Amino acid sequence: MAFIARNWAAFFLLGFLILFSFTGKGFLSVTNFQNVGHLAVIAILMASAETFVIITSGIDLSIGFVMGFSSVTAGKIIQILYAAGGGISPGISIAIGIVIVLILSLIPGLVSGVLIARYKVPPFIATMGMWGITNGIALKICKGFPVATLPEVLTRIGNGYIIYIKPGGGISFFSLPHGVGNESIREYIRLIPYSFIFVGLILLVLWHLLRNTTFGQHTYAIGGNEEAAVRAGINVKLHLVKIYILSSFIAGLAGIFNVFQTGIGNFTPFGAMYELFAVSAVVIGGASLMGGKGSIFGSVIGVFLIAFLENGLLISGVVPFYRFIAVGLLLIIAVVIDQLFPDLL
Amino acid sequence: MDLGRSWALIFLIVELVFFSLAAKGFLSLRVFQMVFFFGVTVFLLGVAELFVIITGGIDLSVGYIVGFASIISSRFVALFLQTGMSTLPALLLGIFLTLAIGLLPGLVSGLLIAKLRVPPFIATFSMLGITHGVSELLILNGAVNMPKLSTLFGNGYFLYWAPGPGLSLFVRPEIPRGGFILELIPNIVVVAFVVIGILSFMLKRTVFGQYTYAIGGNVDAAIRSGINVSRHTVKIYMLSSFLASLTGIIYVMMYVKGKGDAGASNLLDSIAAVVIGGASLYGGKGTVWRTILGALIIAILETGLRVMGIPTFDKYIIVGIILISAVLIDKIFPDKTYMDTKE
Repeated sequence: MAFIARNWAAFFLLGFLILFSFTGKGFLSVTNFQNVGHLAVIAILMASAETFVIITSGIDLSIGFVMGFSSVTAGKIIQILYAAGGGISPGISIAIGIVIVLILSLIPGLVSGVLIARYKVPPFIATMGMWGITNGIALKICKGFPVATLPEVLTRIGNGYIIYIKPGGGISFFSLPHGVGNESIREYIRLIPYSFIFVGLILLVLWHLLRNTTFGQHTYAIGGNEEAAVRAGINVKLHLVKIYILSSFIAGLAGIFNVFQTGIGNFTPFGAMYELFAVSAVVIGGASLMGGKGSIFGSVIGVFLIAFLENGLLISGVVPFYRFIAVGLLLIIAVVIDQLFPDLL
Repeated sequence: MDLGRSWALIFLIVELVFFSLAAKGFLSLRVFQMVFFFGVTVFLLGVAELFVIITGGIDLSVGYIVGFASIISSRFVALFLQTGMSTLPALLLGIFLTLAIGLLPGLVSGLLIAKLRVPPFIATFSMLGITHGVSELLILNGAVNMPKLSTLFGNGYFLYWAPGPGLSLFVRPEIPRGGFILELIPNIVVVAFVVIGILSFMLKRTVFGQYTYAIGGNVDAAIRSGINVSRHTVKIYMLSSFLASLTGIIYVMMYVKGKGDAGASNLLDSIAAVVIGGASLYGGKGTVWRTILGALIIAILETGLRVMGIPTFDKYIIVGIILISAVLIDKIFPDKTYMDTKE
């Protein structure tokens, strides 16, 4: 019983997968699963960022807007360099954009981290302040419109696959065979999106960081009992700053991925609530807002539970707005189970 | 001088002086009334959030309850009008029903928080999801219009004066096109401030208010002194939800149609108003009028920037900075009149 309760999210996920395989035509297919995974990349990144913060018993409300800031800024830099021409190839302009944005994306985390660790500002307020600031800057940069006219190669990478197979016609790697246009892409079976490699590598690094390193140990220690962590000689303040920088950095990565996926720089609308869905996924995945608990694996399960629920409902012909209701109900289940089996983990 | 306590007021004055000098046409009765007219949402949501924050909680759902209420109220009214009811009773009955249903999200999140010990953040976010989902489902086939009477009230004024007909209450006198007319105090501002006045009285002078502070100051002490903490907590979240529904009704009176995300962007503003007003997220502190002061700072900022013709993008940046500064100033100049039991 306790085993099921501990892994309820995974069991729910399994249950949904079986249910939707019956109710939704085309749900149980490689193409659909790849699509769900591809569309969930940003949610996965957001949730893993939030996992670190929540384990330290904090919260980061700014990540959704840091992502928008990063996406818009990267888009703007690439747009300007690309339009300037003058020997700057698209590849170089994209690379410059990525590097600058990744450095910039450390700043919101640094600021909120210092406010939280050094000045004892509640994480909720500090990161909410950064939400306002990064959102305002992003909107200023893009003047309220998505940043378009970027090199076309972006989406080719962002939505590309490693293997393309034409049934009965041979196989090609990394792109469609030479001379085949995008219009005939539907004739090909496409396998392993680049985005899986990208998010897989990041998850591997973060998982290792949290599970096998002193950085991870300290993270759990601070969330479990901050005073004990201080007494054990952990530099709690420095570590907290690092945590918020990490979270902000991952949000920055998500913003860059967003540019590759959509081919434009997008600001984050208010209704998107990336950060709140990320918190939900983390909590559904077994973390506690009180800190000290949580894992990357659990959070990813949480994201997939939401993602497959949404996809399955859609394919089964249910209006997508049930998603919001479903997440609300899942959250309540998560916390109630947490209350009923308090000695878990 | 106790800078820690009065900085918000000083900031408000500085802001007023700045916009009077920088924004042409800012210093006028029309703009002054505009500040209050568009500020109503943040005033009401700020006060809703204040009660919750004093108890040490947070309510993320208020923004979407606004949308939810804006949609169901227009639905109800349209339904009653279809059955042949005349406009005024249909309107009143619709509003009444909306306010009653509007208590539900608060009841549920309050019960989750008080009985099942769900963190307020999670409980209210799940209510956000549920109300948001339900309201989007309700307007799948398009939103319905509110009758003209409601829009007239929502955009009307309490007092009119024109040279010919003289003074009149609520009803705009007929005047020749382009003639002079003085319009004073928007109706919705009257409604909002009556409600806010009552709430301020409740918080300051009644047992309800005492309990609210007591729970936020020290839950254990509150329990030991015999307060039914879980019951009171449920009431607090219902109050917050009620105020959000009221805001939704006002919204639909202003804008004719309901909208699912009507109040979504006001969450930051309303929490910022409370924090700028000197409340602490750890609970036990805060007053209604200070929250209104905080909300006014934001409302003036928004209107001032609009009058200057600057896109309101800057507003988010400035609100973010003020929000952080508010907490920092409270740290640097700690308030000695309160006991911070939890920090």
